[in-house]
Amino acid sequence: MRNHSENAMKAVFLAAACVSIIAVILICVFLFASGIPAILEIGPFDFLLGRSWKPGQGLYGIFPMIIGSIYVTAGAIIIGVPIGLFCAVFLARYCPKGLYRIAKPAINLLAGIPSIVYGFFGLMVVVPLVQNYAGGSGKSLLTASVLLGIMILPTIINVSESNIRAVPEHYYEGSLALGATKERSIFRAVLPAAKMGILAGVILGIGRAIGETMAVVMVCGNQAILPEHITSGVRTLTANIVLEMGYASGLHRDALIATAVVLFVFILLINLSFTALKRRGA
Amino acid sequence: MKKNKLKKAMAFGLAALMAFGISGCGGGDAKDAASGQDITVISREEGSGTRDAFVEITGVLSGDTDRTVDSAEISNSTSVVTQSVAGNEAAIGYISMGSMSEQVKAVKVNGVAASVDSVKSGDYELQRPFNIVTKGKLAELPQDFVNFIMSADGQAIIEEEGYIAINGEAEGYQAKGLSGSITLAGSTSVAPVMEVLADQYKKQNPDVAIEIQQTGSGAGIQSTIEGVCDIGMASRALADDEVEKGLDTQEIALDGIAVIVNKTNDVEDLAMEEIMQIFTGEITNWADVQ
Repeated sequence: MRNHSENAMKAVFLAAACVSIIAVILICVFLFASGIPAILEIGPFDFLLGRSWKPGQGLYGIFPMIIGSIYVTAGAIIIGVPIGLFCAVFLARYCPKGLYRIAKPAINLLAGIPSIVYGFFGLMVVVPLVQNYAGGSGKSLLTASVLLGIMILPTIINVSESNIRAVPEHYYEGSLALGATKERSIFRAVLPAAKMGILAGVILGIGRAIGETMAVVMVCGNQAILPEHITSGVRTLTANIVLEMGYASGLHRDALIATAVVLFVFILLINLSFTALKRRGA
Repeated sequence: MKKNKLKKAMAFGLAALMAFGISGCGGGDAKDAASGQDITVISREEGSGTRDAFVEITGVLSGDTDRTVDSAEISNSTSVVTQSVAGNEAAIGYISMGSMSEQVKAVKVNGVAASVDSVKSGDYELQRPFNIVTKGKLAELPQDFVNFIMSADGQAIIEEEGYIAINGEAEGYQAKGLSGSITLAGSTSVAPVMEVLADQYKKQNPDVAIEIQQTGSGAGIQSTIEGVCDIGMASRALADDEVEKGLDTQEIALDGIAVIVNKTNDVEDLAMEEIMQIFTGEITNWADVQ
């Protein structure tokens, strides 16, 4: 009897595990089955390196969007990583207990805010700020980077903080005992030891930034051209898909799915490097 | 002692942040109008019914080529266009007249202001029909809903919502006490007024459920062809290949497309030609307008 119920539960667990794996496989199959033929029809070079995206005229070049996604993500990393890292150092090493009880939930709340709310905040607050202080129309590479920089903070802070805390205390104490100041001990002894974990956090942040859609589409201007300036508008891969999916049909629709394939490959690479890093870290 | 210092530093930082935020929000109103600034062109995404109608009427569309300037910002909803124009002195955009808000200013086109009367008389040229699309003979229930839309009651609701009724001599609507469900799909411009129509219809026919999907004109027409929805909504005329698939269209209302600029902009009147030149990038500075 006991054996039976144990076996039954085993089957339930197996089924639960299978559902998520099947979901991933189905998404892969769907993406590649619809996307690859479209890429072949357009021509891989014309698709990946083409500078013009004009579905009305049969031009499907996503090069500006690939560059757009990379620029915006890089901008988010430049803004988000220093702030996130210093915040993690502060939380792990300097933060008074009373403040920590407020700061930590606040950061977690930041992670829970829906992206459309970020988008609205960006449109109403960040866009006018950029417009006034940096010029241009306000909807730009810079705006999207700032907004994404804020959005990836919780990921970077939480991963970095736990990795800094995971460094054995005697690294820090040893450094102090050798006469180093507190700051020097943290930045020269503790942080290098937590390097791999922090890098993993950054990579997770990149994954979040490159996949973000709703917030970005509201503040980046969405011009499908190569940005010339930091205040120029830009269109990301995700924005391209969400803007036109509702209306597209035929090859246009398949080209959007092919855009998703490119995005999927990006995410795959990011996840692979994350796993590789974790293995090296261990 | 140390703790105190830290607290002070944090309070200072917070105050600075708040001051920065406030000055940021307040900025922009002191400066003079847009004159002399580069124009920020704001358009809608490819395939949007509003964009299709706009480029066709203004002549931005030449032959099959949509000549909208590459550097135009693209927004995928009316509210984002409005918000962007409201926050940018040098911006120009276009939205459905029924969605006009106090935050922005509509310019006259060829000297005619956008209003219910000027659209009705045809003097305001930037106008398009709101269509419903059906395939084959409708079942009793969807047909009854269409009758309601075209009745005096339905047309009155359309006028209340800021659009222009098309059927002036319609008769009142009598509920038949039907039950069941109706699915509509299509244009995001038509959907808001359709929601109100559906609400009123349900008040008179409590047993009917109406589902409205906002998918965009193109997808709505596609769904109607495939039979996924009973009635499609389109904010543009049907393309030839769509008509060939056996669809019937019926105009339910007229809508003007308002060309909107920032409230601080001095420009009051634009010729159709100028609008075309702005959206194709031939005119790039407000100084070149007028």
